[in-house]
Amino acid sequence: MHPLNWAVVIVWLSYVAIDGLRRARGTKHIEGYFLASRNLPWWAVGLSVMATQLSAVTMIGTTGQGAVDGMRFVQFYFGLPIAMLILGVTIVPFLHGAKVFTAYEFLERRFDAKTRSLTAFLFLLSRGMSCGTILAAPAVVFSAVFGWPLPWCVAFMGIPTVLYTMIGGVQAVTWADVKQMALIVVAIISIVIVLLVRIPVSPGAALHIAGAAGRMRTFDFSFSLTNTYTFWSGIIGGTFLMLSYFGTDQSQVQRYLTARSVNEARSSLLISAYWKIPLQAMILLIGVLVFVFYTFQAPPLLFNPAHERDVRAAEPAAFASLESRYGAALTERRAAANEIARVTDSEDGTEASAASAFRVRDSVVTSVRAEALKLAERATGKQSKDVNYIIPRFVLEQLPLGLAGLFIAGVMAAAMSAIAAELNSLATATVIDFYRRWVKPEASDLHFLNVSKGATAFWGLFACVVATQAATLGSLIEVVNRFGSFFYGSILGVFILAMIPRSRAFGAFVGLICGMAAVAAVNFGAPQIAFLWHNVVGVVTVVVVGTLLSAMSGKHANTGPATHVPRTE
Amino acid sequence: MTDPTPTTEQASAIRFRRNLVRVMSVQVIALIVLWLVQRHFSI
Repeated sequence: MHPLNWAVVIVWLSYVAIDGLRRARGTKHIEGYFLASRNLPWWAVGLSVMATQLSAVTMIGTTGQGAVDGMRFVQFYFGLPIAMLILGVTIVPFLHGAKVFTAYEFLERRFDAKTRSLTAFLFLLSRGMSCGTILAAPAVVFSAVFGWPLPWCVAFMGIPTVLYTMIGGVQAVTWADVKQMALIVVAIISIVIVLLVRIPVSPGAALHIAGAAGRMRTFDFSFSLTNTYTFWSGIIGGTFLMLSYFGTDQSQVQRYLTARSVNEARSSLLISAYWKIPLQAMILLIGVLVFVFYTFQAPPLLFNPAHERDVRAAEPAAFASLESRYGAALTERRAAANEIARVTDSEDGTEASAASAFRVRDSVVTSVRAEALKLAERATGKQSKDVNYIIPRFVLEQLPLGLAGLFIAGVMAAAMSAIAAELNSLATATVIDFYRRWVKPEASDLHFLNVSKGATAFWGLFACVVATQAATLGSLIEVVNRFGSFFYGSILGVFILAMIPRSRAFGAFVGLICGMAAVAAVNFGAPQIAFLWHNVVGVVTVVVVGTLLSAMSGKHANTGPATHVPRTE
Repeated sequence: MTDPTPTTEQASAIRFRRNLVRVMSVQVIALIVLWLVQRHFSI
């Protein structure tokens, strides 16, 4: 990468880290460290929540997905506005009004200590591992693209983030997120503009070419439990997933607990949904336009430069033969794309036949690439995730000077803001739900503040270690992520039970376990069912089992909030 | 920390309702635009 691009990246990282540290001044109490003394403006909280959700995986993986699969992934987010509306009138007033530090603390007040500890433990386990994978995703890509050792790439993003999160707490995290979000939006808009300028046909013709390849199909109204991205899985499964994520996951809940009042908390939650669908559509559109760009300019056969090098060395003859066929297929596809552009611009009504010819040419290109990917997997012994390298390769090879640095800084910003919020929430749950609850209930604020900083550093180190071991831990991480999907909906079910006056602690605890077991049974018994439906299964099981058991054990069980829990006011 | 006064609480309630209308409008407009784009460009 050009030194000017590196300068942009380094200046940005330094600015975010130094400003984060500067904002740490005055954070001397645990409430200031974890909840910014519940005094942050709603718009900053909203932007921060939005930045937290935009991880580097979104910037690299989602754009790549747009290039190979088109716009339909955006259906995943259709449930988000509905979820925000439901949360705004249900869980947000409950949690904000309870003046708790963590969502799980509320569960002890409503049910009992074991329900709180189990949900907090499940959160720590899944979020600790996911924090590592969030850091690993861009680090692995940068390692392959720049040829750096993986630990360097992890340290480059991990150390500044851990430093400002550890020293500055949620205040530093939120204000850093606001800046990171601005950078991400600027980077996205700049790339769309560059793509529109560099593609040698009119924007209308470019979108017709994408449409001919099926990349502009956003809505799929088929009702299929096995198809992950349909309108119905997005609206129903997506709503439950978003309700679980924003309503019960401490990394999100903690953000709106920092707002000044219930209405400000609701507003911040709404703001985080404000641009979600348009922004995700814009991110996918980048991928779609990159696909069109590469119909006019020859793309590499393999986007992962490390794999390309390895395959070329291991199987030179086979790779050369594939490259030759690929070149010929690309030439024919380019001619077909030019024909679509010509008929689109001249409007002579032969679009359908031009599109049909393009689809045939495109399928040849796709099949040659599929052969190359299989060859890469055979030669390297690793699963090819070539889709994640499409955008980094495009950015480094095609974007003008300075803008490539801006995009790389944007990807790092996305990774850092996602990790920072998670580190802070992991530290909060560790200190509030375990250390203060079970180890040392009474101590000075300064003591808890120091333990919190230690906990942030611990989780930061844990995330960096998981990230550096990403390649060897691949299967383990997948197991943990899969395990995470078992209880996401189930935890939401417990929070719904908490709002039903007649539900009891026994019903909630057993319901939670039954919910996770039901999702596990669906996952292993019917693996073809798309994961978005797992959340629906979890919620329904917990609520049904919890309500029935509560009704049966009614008179004898714990019915009210626990009185021995330390209050946080 | 001080609790919000009734006036500020009222202002934030009004802001919430205004944000609700805006957010839902943006989502509906986004869905309509995506639908029109699909219809126009899918061949």
